[in-house]
Amino acid sequence: MRKLLQLNFLLLFGFIILCFTGQALAQGVVSGTVTDADSYETLIGVNVLINELELGMPTDADGQFEFSNVPAGEYQLEARYVGFNTVERSITVEDGQETVVDIEMTVSTAELDELVVTSFGLEQERKALGYSVQEISSENLTIGNQSNVVSALGGKVSGVQVTNTGGSPGSSSRIVIRGINSLDPGADNQPLFVVDGVPIDNSTIESTGTPRNMSNRAADLNPNDIESVNVLKGAAATALYGVRAANGAVIVTTKGGQAGDTQINYTSTVGFDRVNKFPEFQDVYGQGFEFQNTPADGFWPNWGPRYEDTDAEYHDIWRDATQTGVQLDNSINISGGNEMATYYASVSNLQQEGVLPYGDWDRTSVRLSGDVAPRENFRVRSSINYVNSGGMRVLADRFMESMMYWSPNADVTDFEKEDGTMRGYYNDGSSGNNPIYQAKYWTYEDNVNRVIGNVTFDYNPAEWFNVLYTLGADFYSDQRTEIIPGPRGIEGENVVSSTGAIEETRINSRDINSTLNLTFQRDITERINTRLRVGNDIFDRDFNNVISSGNDFVTPLFYHLSNVRNISLNQQIRQRRLVGVYGDLLIDYDNFLYVNLTGRNDWSSTLPEDNRSFFYPSVSVGFSFSDIMDLPEYFTFGKLRASLSQVGKDAPVYSTSDTYNTPPQYPLDGRVGFTRSNIRGSEDLKPEQTTSLELGTDLRFFDNRLGVDFTWYQSNSKDQIFAVPISEATGYSEIITNAGEIENKGFEIQLTGRPVQMQDFAWDVTVNYSRNQSTVVEVAEGIEQILVGSSFGYVGSGASIQLTEGDPYGNIYGRSYERYYPEGEEPENPMYLDEDAPLLIGDDGFPVTNTDQLVLGNTQPDWIGSINNSFSYRNLNFSFLIDAKWGQDVYSQYDNFFTAFGITENTLDREDFRVFEGVTADGEPNTQEVWLGQGIGPDGVDYGAGYHRNVKRTVTEEFVFDASYIKLRNIRLAYSLPQNLISDIGFRNITLSATATNIILYTPFEGFDPESRAGGAGSNADGFTNLDYPGVSSFFFSVNLSL
Amino acid sequence: MKNLKLLLIAAFSSFLFLAGCEDYLNVNDDPNNPTSAPAQGLLSNVTYETAQNTYRMGSVTSYYVQYLASPNSGSSTDTQEALSFNTQWFRLYDNLTDLSDLELLAEEEGATQLVGVAKILKAYNLGTLVDAWGDVPYSEAFFGETLNPSYDDQENLYNEIFTLLEDGIDQLQEENSTITAGDEDFIYGGETARWEQLGYMLQARYLNHLSEDASYDPEAVLSAIDNGFVANDDDAQVEYFEDQVNPWASVAIDNAGLILGGWLSEQTVEHLDGTTYGVEDPRIGFLMNTNDDGEYAGVENGAGRGTAPAAGAFSVLTTDTYYAGRTAPVLIATYAEQKFIEAEAALNATQPARAYQAYLDGIEAHMDKIGVDETDKNAYLTDPAVAVGEAGLTIDLIMKEKYTAMFLHPEAWVDARRYDYGYENMTVPANLNSDLNGEFIRRLVYPDSEEQRNVNTPDVSLLDRIFWDQ
Repeated sequence: MRKLLQLNFLLLFGFIILCFTGQALAQGVVSGTVTDADSYETLIGVNVLINELELGMPTDADGQFEFSNVPAGEYQLEARYVGFNTVERSITVEDGQETVVDIEMTVSTAELDELVVTSFGLEQERKALGYSVQEISSENLTIGNQSNVVSALGGKVSGVQVTNTGGSPGSSSRIVIRGINSLDPGADNQPLFVVDGVPIDNSTIESTGTPRNMSNRAADLNPNDIESVNVLKGAAATALYGVRAANGAVIVTTKGGQAGDTQINYTSTVGFDRVNKFPEFQDVYGQGFEFQNTPADGFWPNWGPRYEDTDAEYHDIWRDATQTGVQLDNSINISGGNEMATYYASVSNLQQEGVLPYGDWDRTSVRLSGDVAPRENFRVRSSINYVNSGGMRVLADRFMESMMYWSPNADVTDFEKEDGTMRGYYNDGSSGNNPIYQAKYWTYEDNVNRVIGNVTFDYNPAEWFNVLYTLGADFYSDQRTEIIPGPRGIEGENVVSSTGAIEETRINSRDINSTLNLTFQRDITERINTRLRVGNDIFDRDFNNVISSGNDFVTPLFYHLSNVRNISLNQQIRQRRLVGVYGDLLIDYDNFLYVNLTGRNDWSSTLPEDNRSFFYPSVSVGFSFSDIMDLPEYFTFGKLRASLSQVGKDAPVYSTSDTYNTPPQYPLDGRVGFTRSNIRGSEDLKPEQTTSLELGTDLRFFDNRLGVDFTWYQSNSKDQIFAVPISEATGYSEIITNAGEIENKGFEIQLTGRPVQMQDFAWDVTVNYSRNQSTVVEVAEGIEQILVGSSFGYVGSGASIQLTEGDPYGNIYGRSYERYYPEGEEPENPMYLDEDAPLLIGDDGFPVTNTDQLVLGNTQPDWIGSINNSFSYRNLNFSFLIDAKWGQDVYSQYDNFFTAFGITENTLDREDFRVFEGVTADGEPNTQEVWLGQGIGPDGVDYGAGYHRNVKRTVTEEFVFDASYIKLRNIRLAYSLPQNLISDIGFRNITLSATATNIILYTPFEGFDPESRAGGAGSNADGFTNLDYPGVSSFFFSVNLSL
Repeated sequence: MKNLKLLLIAAFSSFLFLAGCEDYLNVNDDPNNPTSAPAQGLLSNVTYETAQNTYRMGSVTSYYVQYLASPNSGSSTDTQEALSFNTQWFRLYDNLTDLSDLELLAEEEGATQLVGVAKILKAYNLGTLVDAWGDVPYSEAFFGETLNPSYDDQENLYNEIFTLLEDGIDQLQEENSTITAGDEDFIYGGETARWEQLGYMLQARYLNHLSEDASYDPEAVLSAIDNGFVANDDDAQVEYFEDQVNPWASVAIDNAGLILGGWLSEQTVEHLDGTTYGVEDPRIGFLMNTNDDGEYAGVENGAGRGTAPAAGAFSVLTTDTYYAGRTAPVLIATYAEQKFIEAEAALNATQPARAYQAYLDGIEAHMDKIGVDETDKNAYLTDPAVAVGEAGLTIDLIMKEKYTAMFLHPEAWVDARRYDYGYENMTVPANLNSDLNGEFIRRLVYPDSEEQRNVNTPDVSLLDRIFWDQ
């Protein structure tokens, strides 16, 4: 049965594998028991192998194993178990005899000698590192069933901030390591993604106009293909990568085949997404204005009379309009091989529907990799990954804006008339945009075809010399179509757009990377070992994006570029090339002191010819003091680390010269106009420079049962290249120059522990905690602020994120309530909102608005932390990850709209009187009572549009909220069926699991999920909700079969 | 072994490659945008943007002269707050920059016609800038030589305007221009004679701005006019396109989609509907629509629409009106305007006959322009309130009619200030900016963008006057 299945799968993948099965006449039996050397308890599920025969089996519930029919001979018996040192024994099997081999295993301290993957996918002993590297294993990565590898990193690495841009299928996730390094609002502050030694593209190309949560390109990776992820945080760790890893690097190692039996793994997951948090909506007042529904059922959705006083029925439109999103993820892989060659092949398919209707995302990935050793000292590795991804992207902002206007008096799900036109909510359905109708017909679909491939030659001409050459390519085309339906030509129809439009986007991106490493090892004395690596690295990017847009359809319902009255075109070509040469010298003194010197010189195409070559060095030291000091017995291991490093950074493409361009209105009636570019290039740009200092320690106690890893760092990025605004009278509005400095300072703590370990039970805990402080040390001379982004609010109540010299990064500016200061007194810092000072109340009895832009909050968290707990009891595993982000503020455009339209419960005070707390202009406490409703109040005063519209919605301060949260990032229960049950039917393993993710445990934030941010992963304006996709929690059921 | 050799060769050639890498790295010339532009391409954009700039300034000044009013109470443009008009400033400089490039390029290439056009449009854009902001950077501007260009004195800038116009006319009179404009010219389609006429018309306009200045010479205005426009056909204007609609049409379309804007001021409605002058001007229906009750109704500046709904209660610009039609022209300088300049200068030069005829011609030209039929036109022109006779003509009447003819044009604000906002029944808006002490706004403050980026930006108040406003 098992063979048959194997055969099926093999044929499926087009493989022909020769299966060797040894047959011998003389046979014996090998059996034994495996126990823990410390506790003498038996160990279950230990993998026992006889490699020569490609035999392997796990120990049973009693810790026992037995191989029958073993041909007589001499063999190596191996026992492997996670967390324990691997044991090898030589055995001799004799004909007709039972060979009993009892094995004791000791808890592994191997983690100390463990290899970690660093730059260029090169493995290095963790012990030798002078900087911090954190690794996430395959199991840990996929535990929350996140389809996007970036979101899967959330909460798992200290010092790493992952921000999800809402629950839209396929939406981008943003990752920032140790804070923002660039003053340029358009800079990419995300780390470099490297897969099997080859950097890949992780850009997020948003839709034109309002962002639609397009994917970051690393979302194309199938997390099930990943063996491990290493996060290189500081400049020392990434020194060899140079320019492109100036924001850190995420090193992904994919799964490969193992010599031995063919292994087949199949994982199937079904998931359900639901909006994880709704604001509190009011269901008391319905359609109308000034408590009247006259003229009947007009525009205003919620300022009308009480439902109890009318015949109208309240609909819970927010829950009605959203749905449960279903996702299906199927993934299968086959791997195996022998001493000479190994292979790994996988196919996976993910289909995901969103919680907003008519949105979905699919990903199909095929991956094939192999490793061949044609001779003993020469290996060739290669992998190729084809991905097709994309889906229907709902314009959440538009959906939610239409929700704001939609009155709960009308059924939002009754959105389409019989003739196919939109049913609105007022004027008998002839006015008002329905969100679901728009989601259905105003479509934006992307379709990405991507091939990532690489080949590596690994040659060891001598014991002391290694040549490693890797060539990688990452190619994708991204084809997008947007359709805005025009009128159908039906009398009196309620149109989405009066003209309709179509936009076709064709993106072609091609990255090529070539890396050559020569490694020399030499033992100078018995104690001093050295390793020298020199290398060359070439990066070549070619990017071409053509957007054709047409509007005004001639024939209704025929959506094609040939069917529009106006067409315009836009093309963006970008080419970037980078050549680097580097050297890396590691000196190891007696296995406890490691000194690592590196230097890299880059030549970048984006810098002016005279400045395009730049060099930067680093030095790091690792000192394992426990190896030379007498420490108490519980103190297993201790190491100190220090590093000082520099990294350069080149300019954005085409920053060195002036150009003319064609404004978007052309061609106009056959004429093409030109204007001088408003950005002045600079011929004397020099590279940016980041200098980092990192100190840390790695301590282990009680035989590794407890580990503490602490890192402190400071990094300063100077001579930043960005466009500085200049007087427009110069003929330009910006000049690209080197200016400004930003500083990041912080620390990271990682605790790992196994508080309980018993025969059948283990409890593992991992704690991550980090703080980072970003300060804008210097902005360019002559400018006060840099605008990172802004978000709309009614009547000037929008917010902006601006960088000001001397201030922390990410301050949110906006309007506030005027504060009262007695004469002669002033606020401590006039640029910051002084929340403690009393409000100034105006003559009308309402607080007075201060239209100056003050600092109202900050988008960066005070700290981020997480605790992961994992409990194993026999075949049962239970784990949960709690993740917290604290102290960050957001501007909630949602609440601005909720207030403007009377949607949420906090507008229920609309029939109340209030005496606003504060003082009047003469310094006396305010005593004037005012009514909060609309129109003529019970006191005879005309309050016009009322407090919420006239006062509250006009003040940004009201909508800047603390968005701290504590979340249950994931919780999972997994059960592996007992070996004796499944081995009979030919399985190695069957695991069933149930997982829930992204459940909010605590937040002071009143809106949707406080984590969701507008703008996509590419945007640095990370403090705005806009009206973007709400966050979701997901529930997964998963089955994993191995044979 | 062969493989290994190949590998080593590949490895070392990879290093050798560095030697030749200079060429490999020379890929930073922007393939998306050229480093130079054709003169004709610059010409298209400067002519188009001149119309756009006229609209952009008009979208501000129309509230100050009360053509338009905000539907919202206390709207800061209505109430004449010290607002930062970054866009207007930036776009004027952007266009002046392109005009400077065009001028240089055309000079290099011996394209005298284009040099002439560039100088005349430069004069117009500079004039628009000076009339709003007074002292502005000019002599150190446009070529990025200094990041903090100094400010030129406004009177000197007026001299520069006159020099530009004079030189421009001279250049246009040169023959054998190496390049001649055609369709690329959105204003005149390359008709040199009309550009020359515009040069003279603008001379008349800027000379007439000096009416309150000691240097004022009405005879000079009149002699410039003699070489200026002779009919509506000569008007400097840019007609818009179905796929690039008139900017006022965009306002009207937005307003129809409840992004409110383009609401008429009570002042203008009453100016035209007979309330103020006892005679209904037939042009009223060409400038605005009626409300749901079929009546013309304007919003009081600064007061807002009160509890009125967002549509239907007041008169607004619609795409059916003349100025906000989808393909309607934006008027830059018109024959009608020139006639009112002539009337004013002739009156000042004590040539009442010429003044009266020009006054009547101005009304007629404007009515013809916007499409008033003959009967209505003649009825208005013979109404005793209008046909006051040579002796009855006053500056008030000229300014009253010019006010109508300059609807939405920024030039109306120059007139309003020269005329000390002396229009019948014109009062400061409700909720007027308290810093203005009950007076009307006299200039714009420098935009924030400029103040933040140029250390030379002077401090000014909204009550400081432009030199010609005394």
